[in-house]
Amino acid sequence: MADTIQKSNLLFRLIDPLRPTSDHADRAFRFTAGRISWMLPVGIGIGLLVISAVWGVTDPTQFFFSYLVGWTFSLAVTLGCLFFVLVHHLTKAHWGVVVRRIPEAVAYAFPMLLVLFIPIAFGMHDLYHWTHHELFDPSSPEYDPIIAGKAAYLNQPFFFARLLFYFLMWSIIAYRLYTLSVRQDVHPEHDIPKRQRTVSAWGLPVFAVTTAFASYDLLMSLDPHWFSTIFGVYFFAGAVFAAFAFIAFMALLLQRRGGMLKHTITKEHYHDLGKYMFGFTAFWAYIAFSQYMLIWYGGIPEETVFFRHRLEHGWEYHTTALVFLHFVVPFLILLPRASKRALPLLGVMTVWFFIMQWFDLHWLAMPVKDMLYGGHAGFHLLDFTCWLGLFSLLIAATVYRLSRHSLVPQNDPRLAESLHFENV
Amino acid sequence: MARSNPAETALDAHSGDGYDASPPLVTGNLSFHDITDLVAYHAEKKTPVTWLMAFGLASTGAALLLIMLAYQVWNGVGVWGNNVPVGWGWPIVNFVFWVGIGHAGTLISAILYLFRQRWRTSINRAAEAMTLFAVMCALIFPTFHVGRVWAIYWTLPIPNQMEMWPQFKSPLLWDVFAVSSYFIVSLLFWYVGLIPDLATLRDRAALAGKTLRARVIGFFSLGWTGANRHWRNYEKAYLILAGLATPLVLSVHSVVSFDFAVSVIPGWHTTIFPPYFVAGAIFSGFAMVVTLLVVARKIYGLENLITLDHLEKMNIIILLTGTIVGFAYITEFFIAWYSGVEYEQYAFINRATGPYAWAYWTMMSCNLFFPQFFWVKKLRRSIPFMFLTSIVVNIGMWFERFVITITSLHRDFLPSSWDYYSPTWVDVLTLVGSFGLFFTLFLLFLRFVPMVAVAEVKGVLPEADPHYYDDHGDGHGAAESVAVRPSPSGS
Repeated sequence: MADTIQKSNLLFRLIDPLRPTSDHADRAFRFTAGRISWMLPVGIGIGLLVISAVWGVTDPTQFFFSYLVGWTFSLAVTLGCLFFVLVHHLTKAHWGVVVRRIPEAVAYAFPMLLVLFIPIAFGMHDLYHWTHHELFDPSSPEYDPIIAGKAAYLNQPFFFARLLFYFLMWSIIAYRLYTLSVRQDVHPEHDIPKRQRTVSAWGLPVFAVTTAFASYDLLMSLDPHWFSTIFGVYFFAGAVFAAFAFIAFMALLLQRRGGMLKHTITKEHYHDLGKYMFGFTAFWAYIAFSQYMLIWYGGIPEETVFFRHRLEHGWEYHTTALVFLHFVVPFLILLPRASKRALPLLGVMTVWFFIMQWFDLHWLAMPVKDMLYGGHAGFHLLDFTCWLGLFSLLIAATVYRLSRHSLVPQNDPRLAESLHFENV
Repeated sequence: MARSNPAETALDAHSGDGYDASPPLVTGNLSFHDITDLVAYHAEKKTPVTWLMAFGLASTGAALLLIMLAYQVWNGVGVWGNNVPVGWGWPIVNFVFWVGIGHAGTLISAILYLFRQRWRTSINRAAEAMTLFAVMCALIFPTFHVGRVWAIYWTLPIPNQMEMWPQFKSPLLWDVFAVSSYFIVSLLFWYVGLIPDLATLRDRAALAGKTLRARVIGFFSLGWTGANRHWRNYEKAYLILAGLATPLVLSVHSVVSFDFAVSVIPGWHTTIFPPYFVAGAIFSGFAMVVTLLVVARKIYGLENLITLDHLEKMNIIILLTGTIVGFAYITEFFIAWYSGVEYEQYAFINRATGPYAWAYWTMMSCNLFFPQFFWVKKLRRSIPFMFLTSIVVNIGMWFERFVITITSLHRDFLPSSWDYYSPTWVDVLTLVGSFGLFFTLFLLFLRFVPMVAVAEVKGVLPEADPHYYDDHGDGHGAAESVAVRPSPSGS
């Protein structure tokens, strides 16, 4: 029986490292929808990205910025899902076992995301001002001593090396957790929970450091003069904020559209996911407020420049919208118990959360484009095609992985408790 | 619900495989009655001589604190080591130190409650009491640091004929609001949790014929009868207070961090301060809980209630928060370099290599490196080692505040004002005295109040599950594990 878990061929491992095991899945946990369920988002994703690419030729700078925002959105969701799995194992949580396969499947998106990073590599010169050589040349009129002082960190070889390192670490952690969990579906070896915990224990600090530095590299260095020590936490807060929404969204999709997992994921589980969505909208606000308030209060030009660019040329409307639509309104909507248990409303809120997380990343990146190339606040159609194209691919890859294995870690020892779980 | 659930039928085939079940929260096969006896006994027995000796020592310390404060009020702030440019010396270090310690209790009772961590029930009562006492100790320092302590009420926005108002833009004023509301909510939370247990003490006193004691405790138990309605209201109040206390736990140390971070002083003005201070506060608070409970569980024979598993879980939180704090140190250092701001860069290089490098490396070793030993399961379950670590951590956290406060100030923007700060004997004895006050209050708590939340611990026993008796007889003498046995503490 040991040969029932087989690795996929090399190229296929980018999508799913294991061959299908759904024959071993219990009837109640089988993926029953047709291939259309993942082929449709693949088609939409590729279609939107082709449109973006064709259109992008006419306005490459816009394309690169839009693509970066869309790509970091998918990266953030994937990182948030990885975080969920890590914490779930470390705390020996039982409530979420029935939904855990979803974030596990999402988190294996890192290899695919690395491939999808390639267009950004071609846009480095447009996106990242610090890639301009003249800034580092003292004889050049463009010489910038502050950026030149960061040359040891902000240079392309080191940037790509770091990025590869982050993806290597994330992929290893995600791969280990994903394959251990799928292996447990087929061979319920008793030491698997312990091994999952071990991976999570070293994975959590690695995740924390790499996520923080990835956010400095990908987003903070867009404005290479500016710095904020809380930036990594800010990115993390948004990532987890979107990830909980994504888990709830996928669960609703499987149940409502696919008719799967009936009586497995119940209102009680959605209630808990809703609590986390509520909690992280507040946590995000706490971090965002801390960053804004301290920079505003200090009033040092090196730091306030970040908010200055986001309070002019129409960005002031985005900033205000962020306060209300990323925090105040969802906070008030999700505060009552009833709204976390009203599944149609929760479904609307998951989409709301995706939009706001993307809006937040857009708000972080786009004012830099205006600063460098002129322009003012607003949206370009490429923003939407890139974002939704990449997001569709993330959904497609997730659904595809889910379709090949049991939808629930069916041999997890805490599954019984999770199925019976009730909020009291 | 007659329809069978396919998900559950699927489960039967595999349930139990490889299950690393969580260890029981209460060991020693104790019954409900045993737990009541075990905890209530220590609030009812005759005062032990050892307690009196400990109390004598602690209250001497508290008296020392009073003397030092009187001396300071009489002579002025000049008796402390504060100088120019180090206007904030030990008093502020001590304030932040004590406020930080005062974070564990309410975190355990509120946040761990919302996260359904049932193990918190054995430790929450003592941790919350510790929180209240630590906040009291903390408040002393800024109160006397203002110099004219008789005018401290000016920090409150009281309408007056002089039309004088506190500076609402000052984070020091936000501190007054943040710490006092935290104290009030924590006190309420602690008291609400105490009510059922106080009623138990009252009933036991009445049964023993101690009418006066029953009357006095009865007054504080607010007419609790354990009726269903009482429990419903109690549970609701508990949830609401937990919901209110959760943001407060985060806000208090965030506001304390604003005291530093709103300024433009290199090393203070950094945006990560709020979450980093909160992590540090939880870190030091849990260390103090471990220090106290390792001793208390031994002396009072509570090893079956506060088990090694409880201590291990706290040690894991110490490892986690210590690593977060360490990561924040590294982030600050990296961003200081990355910022390209020479003042920031200097502040951090000076911390690590300047005249206070010894304090910086003490902080680093105690907070980041030392807790890493807790990766080893054997060490985080070793009583002597965790006791040592908990003390090392609090030394480290005191030094963290020292490093932040002193090193950033002693190098002013004007090199002509640079100076070295040293504390005076008054500083040292005031800090020692604050420990005296802390232990005095904690000893009083141990003597007069049930130190474990009896009703809550019973709630997490397997017998409290409404379905427990489905498999274990009818609960009336049928099962051995629930039979009422003679009390172990009959003496």
